[in-house]
Amino acid sequence: MESRVEIGERIRKLPAAAAAAVRLNPREYADDYFAVLNATLKESSADEGAHTIYVSVTNPAALVWSIAQALDVPPERLSFVDAISHTMMNFRDPLPNAVYIESPRMLETIMLRVEYLLRLHKATRTTLVVDSVNSLAIHNPKELLNEFFHILVNNLKSRQVLTLLLIVSEDPTSDLDQMLGLIVDETVDVVRAHG
Amino acid sequence: MGRPSNADPSPKDVPRERCVTGIEGLDHILGGGIPKGNMVLLAGPVGTGKTTLSLEFLVHGAERGESSLFLSVTEASNKLIENLSSFDFFRKDLIKSNKLVFVDLPIMYERLGLDHEELTVEDIELLTRSVLDLVESVGADRVVLDSLTSLGYRIRRDERIRDFMLTLGQGLSRLGTTTLLVSEVAPMEGRYSSHGVEEAVVDGIILLGNASRQGDILRVLQVVKMRGTAHSRSQYVMELTPLGLLMAPHLKGNRAQGG
Repeated sequence: MESRVEIGERIRKLPAAAAAAVRLNPREYADDYFAVLNATLKESSADEGAHTIYVSVTNPAALVWSIAQALDVPPERLSFVDAISHTMMNFRDPLPNAVYIESPRMLETIMLRVEYLLRLHKATRTTLVVDSVNSLAIHNPKELLNEFFHILVNNLKSRQVLTLLLIVSEDPTSDLDQMLGLIVDETVDVVRAHG
Repeated sequence: MGRPSNADPSPKDVPRERCVTGIEGLDHILGGGIPKGNMVLLAGPVGTGKTTLSLEFLVHGAERGESSLFLSVTEASNKLIENLSSFDFFRKDLIKSNKLVFVDLPIMYERLGLDHEELTVEDIELLTRSVLDLVESVGADRVVLDSLTSLGYRIRRDERIRDFMLTLGQGLSRLGTTTLLVSEVAPMEGRYSSHGVEEAVVDGIILLGNASRQGDILRVLQVVKMRGTAHSRSQYVMELTPLGLLMAPHLKGNRAQGG
């Protein structure tokens, strides 16, 4: 059985160009989510020259940013592609370290904004977090999503970017899990922490 | 796209010197850039990024030490330069060093005494000669005419447009100049210019447009034709960013998406 500390350790040990699915337990979502944010945001932004690009589709960037601030993540080491605030009609004060997309259906725009942030920050080590696969699946057909992840992950691998795809699931045989199984190198399974 | 391999079954290209656009995605689609000396129609409806793409093409050329000339028919140069300043890739010193030159065509009309509402054959000959003289005096490696459509409003007749373009194209090709002619078109199938004769004369067509996905609009780019190179014919989504134009494949999802 893995503890949440070990999950953080596993994420930290992933090689630079890896792609991993990070599977959260829906029944323990709040605890798992914080543990994963702690591991991805804090640890991946700890080093000089490191940068995290956080694609927020589940929660607005402002919410994730408030958690990141509580974790003392330096603002220059974290930027957001927010694809949900506009759709939620919850777009008030834009964050200076975020770019906003009108709709989570504009998958190519997500790719292009990620590309923009990669070029802008020119970090020596970049981590991309997509939060989450489930939220993107609400707005996009499976075939389109499959193509999106396939292109995104392969492009980022060639750029030595670590990609973490958050998925909320307790059934490894679900459609989304199976789709990710063909794309990622490994699964960091938070579900197993609860036995 | 990249250069074709030995195993590529498509007809072999005679290698031609490239005009590297500096727009990474576009150079990739074109296998290294526009073949030098080509006259290319950059067609698309309003708001699809034609002028921005053209300006970026010229700025990157100027940065590479190539003389770049923008012939503006509708928008005043100072306004264009002001708009350019919001892009990180723009450097004002390129204008000061005359590597990037802006000329307002209405001023040229005035100086040449071209005051007929519809340009005569003689007017068109004079204009063509003057443009070619200007290109030669600047030593322009890259030229943008924005827009051919606006100029066409004064040339009007199809056969005169065609003759103007043939003469201009031959002159520019002789000078080794790579040219983008901006064409404003309403979104429609199979037509890339207002007169419909322009596309037959040019060496290449780059089509910009909008694609809808369930009501959301994406800017798209497609190279329809380009003489002298193998190229991708796929559609790409593009984004105008402060760092310049970025491109990504247009997702098809086995056509699962609506709209």
